[in-house]
Amino acid sequence: MRSRAVGTIEYEVEELDNIFGIMVLGAFIGIPSPPIQITMELFPLMEKELNIMLAKVLTAHDPLGDLFSELDID
Amino acid sequence: MSREIHFFIGKGGVGKSTTSALTAVHLAHKGYNTLLCSMDPAHNQRDIFDRHFYEKPKQVNRNLAVKEVDADYWISKYLKETEVQIKKVYSYQSAFNIQNYFNILKYSPGLEEYALLLAFENILDTAKDRDFIIFDMAPTALTMRFFSLPFITLVWLKELLKLRKNIYTKKEIISKIKLGRKEIEQDKVKAKLEELINDNQHLQEYFTARETKINLVVNNDRLSFSEAVRTKQKLTKIGIPINRVVVNKVQNNEITESLRAEFNDYKMTLFPLASGGLLGLETLQLYLDKNQNVLNDLP
Repeated sequence: MRSRAVGTIEYEVEELDNIFGIMVLGAFIGIPSPPIQITMELFPLMEKELNIMLAKVLTAHDPLGDLFSELDID
Repeated sequence: MSREIHFFIGKGGVGKSTTSALTAVHLAHKGYNTLLCSMDPAHNQRDIFDRHFYEKPKQVNRNLAVKEVDADYWISKYLKETEVQIKKVYSYQSAFNIQNYFNILKYSPGLEEYALLLAFENILDTAKDRDFIIFDMAPTALTMRFFSLPFITLVWLKELLKLRKNIYTKKEIISKIKLGRKEIEQDKVKAKLEELINDNQHLQEYFTARETKINLVVNNDRLSFSEAVRTKQKLTKIGIPINRVVVNKVQNNEITESLRAEFNDYKMTLFPLASGGLLGLETLQLYLDKNQNVLNDLP
């Protein structure tokens, strides 16, 4: 019950994590990146964000399906 | 006295190396403990003093030491440290794959000016006993990127920190509802962002401090003049003031009207043209003896 209550926020946080990942590590998926040393300094601490970002790239063909399943819409 | 830092900047070939070397020799001769640092990858100081210089400062006389900043050394040192850090933190499986990503970073543009910043920080930390540190900078393009890097970096860092704080607050909410407590694991990325903001602000303060003097070197020609005007505008934009305009290769003590008009409000130093070039410590000293009033406004 409790975990259901925050499901949407968790989804949002994951999206934000993804955005943060893209902003810092975007160079890896073809998006212009910030001054390179920011990437260098944060890269060692961002394993989770990197994995989220890469997973999102893989499911990028169906972002709506991703969202609908989170919101429990069939 | 507090330590003074002098940057010599300007278009390629105007005489940044020569005028910075002359200034360093002058200050050392006056008894000040002086360090001359070549930040220009072309490293002309070795030709001027006719000997090899390295990362480790080498004394050329009692009060004067010269060093050459090796950007490649700083880049590879930095990459090595980052790589070690990644291997330490990432789980075994992803550390294995991460190597590919890291190899992409190695060839990113922008690393050279960052290496210069690392070297600059290192010099400030290690040369604490010097009275003067003179930086012979690279030509305008690289130097401008060097000066503006902390400025641009801070814009990014502050935006990233905002987003990160937002994420952190939401994670706290989740933790509170799910587990009934608000404390969550300390966010290392946020801490790192704050540390980086702090570092970059320090650098910016160094660039704009009263003890830091920017010497803009120009010649009596149109090209170096128009580049000097643009450099002045760009530096003003990022809040770094020019302290002095150094006109090199001056004939008959004359400078052009446009030069005089544009830099009317600045201190000006005129270095007379030296016939036959200035090579070797003795030649530099002879030149200074002959033109004693040139560096009058320095100690």
